Amino acid sequence: MDRYGLSRRTLLERLSLVGGVGLMMAGMEAFGYGIASASTAPPLLPGSAKGKKLIILGAGVAGLATAIEAMKAGYEVQIVEARSFAGGRAQTARKGFSLTELGGETQTCDFDEGGYINHGPWRIPYHHRSTLHYAKTLGVPLEIFVNDNDASYLFFESGKGPLKAKAVRKGQIAADARGHAAEMLAKVAKKGGLDDMVTAADRDQLVAYLITEGYLSPKDLAYTGTDGRGFEVDPGAGMVPGPGKPSTPFSMTDVLSSGAWRVLASVANYEQQRTMFQPSGGMDQIAKAMEKKVQPAIRYSTVVEKVAQNAAGVEVFVVDGAGKTSSIKGDYVVCTIPLSVLRSIDMQVSPRFKQAISAPAYAPVGKIGLQMKRRFWEEDDHIYGGHIYTDNPDILTVSFPSWGWMGNKGVLLGYYQFGANAAKISAKSPADRAAFAVAFGQKVMPQYAENYEKSFSVAWHRVQYNLGGWVDWNDETRKTEYPVLCEPDGRIYLAGEHVSYITGWQAGAIESAWQQLEKLHKRVQAA
Amino acid sequence: MKTLNLRLAAAALTLAAVAAAGQAQSQPTGEQLYNDNCAACHQQAGQGIPGAFPALAGDKVALGDPKVVTFVVLTGRGGMPAFKDSLNDADLAMIITYVRSAWGNKAKPITAADFASARTGPPPSTKLQAH
Repeated sequence: MDRYGLSRRTLLERLSLVGGVGLMMAGMEAFGYGIASASTAPPLLPGSAKGKKLIILGAGVAGLATAIEAMKAGYEVQIVEARSFAGGRAQTARKGFSLTELGGETQTCDFDEGGYINHGPWRIPYHHRSTLHYAKTLGVPLEIFVNDNDASYLFFESGKGPLKAKAVRKGQIAADARGHAAEMLAKVAKKGGLDDMVTAADRDQLVAYLITEGYLSPKDLAYTGTDGRGFEVDPGAGMVPGPGKPSTPFSMTDVLSSGAWRVLASVANYEQQRTMFQPSGGMDQIAKAMEKKVQPAIRYSTVVEKVAQNAAGVEVFVVDGAGKTSSIKGDYVVCTIPLSVLRSIDMQVSPRFKQAISAPAYAPVGKIGLQMKRRFWEEDDHIYGGHIYTDNPDILTVSFPSWGWMGNKGVLLGYYQFGANAAKISAKSPADRAAFAVAFGQKVMPQYAENYEKSFSVAWHRVQYNLGGWVDWNDETRKTEYPVLCEPDGRIYLAGEHVSYITGWQAGAIESAWQQLEKLHKRVQAA
Repeated sequence: MKTLNLRLAAAALTLAAVAAAGQAQSQPTGEQLYNDNCAACHQQAGQGIPGAFPALAGDKVALGDPKVVTFVVLTGRGGMPAFKDSLNDADLAMIITYVRSAWGNKAKPITAADFASARTGPPPSTKLQAH
């Protein structure tokens, strides 16, 4: 066989044999945009700031990152923050934290000392090295966030069969779906049913892989369950329980008709890594550590009303907490205000830039923290962190805290919903939202309602100065509008998660801040 | 607690009965559906919140071309989510017809058929992901 024939054949063999991996690689390449451009450290800003003054709008994570790096490079920095505290969406609700949604009643968090809910960002994938950079350099203690837990429950209500609306452990669904599927594929392969796709040598390896993948019997390729899905009676000491009693797998039909298999995939989604981090004590700890570095430069409770610019500089018109208006002059603006809010601010930018600011949608997002009297999920169900996933679109995720292990009380995330469902749930009063969340939880775990004590909820689309959880670029606006906002309009630069492909994550905010500041600094050097 | 899907299924089942016997008892009204799905932002009296959520009372868009209204409601705009996956055409028609006749508004009803025909056109929006 000639060289080309061989390589072609090899290619085809590989493509057909490892189709799944091939697809994964293609997906990785698509993601590769993010991987390749991901920043792991702040930009070096050589040269001088030439006495230039930067006005940063917003003291969220993007604004704080801009300020820290700009001050290091010698810029004079003034940060304008609408709220009385820094951090933007990187908030943590603990005792005393207060929030009044637009059109809503004031909630003041009354969780017991030490209890909290991260109602904004709550987990950091291990590869978000920009976020981790600040945690590390600012000495913010981190702990593991359990983002996947085979012991946690799946609760699918819209399927059929005996597993419908039944709390089933994820590991059992995973073992059985993959076990049964591996059995079928292995048997077909063994019989020669895949011979038009695999060579004889690869067929044996494929069968061997499927035996491992699905815990199949090497003898007859049958899946009859596996210890990893748990026991009916756990093994222990002596004769009783002695070896324990194995559990019986669900049938393939029951697993398939339940719909619960929808949570399964070969590997975690890029952003939904199994290994994640959280700051000890609450997500706001990173933002607070960043705030400390630049605090004297922040003007709190100061709302931007207008941003003007000309060839000589910029002027930002603000109103302070007492209703007094004033203006701040500088050389450049780095604006990190969410586009959902920025679209109603008087910005002296080109019509094209203005159009791009108004273009994207923002995601309505709802979360609720539920304080429980005792950690029944740990004590009774042996679930330590991770999530209950459900197909109920008004709930989607219930999450167990990855902090305070073995403690007494704990705070659950009672729902985490988006879009129209978040809009719907947010119409309820805080008390009704809690009642709704508890009623759902009660269906999954019978200890839920009797242990519920108090709640704190947020609907980000109703939070002033945010008006949405995160930007929701679609394919079209990403192509036509997003690039416009990546470049400055005159002396005005935008930064934030909305100016990144890591939308909705602090890493997006930080990396866009780094990128824009580097751009600005190069311009200052060239001038 | 009812799931949305169950409610939609129930709504579909009662449609035939509604046609024959008038408004079924179990069918939510346009006002109820509006309060459930829209009032969190646009507020119960349709007055919105200045700087954040547009008023629907007297709003040119809400009272204007049905094609624009159906497009915005199905696909979302700005901070407003797409409702195409969470509400069926009959419910959407009831909501919008309520909006166009409440709070002093006077505009022609929009029908389920209007929404059905609008669904064939618009491009798919992105699916929101957890963070």
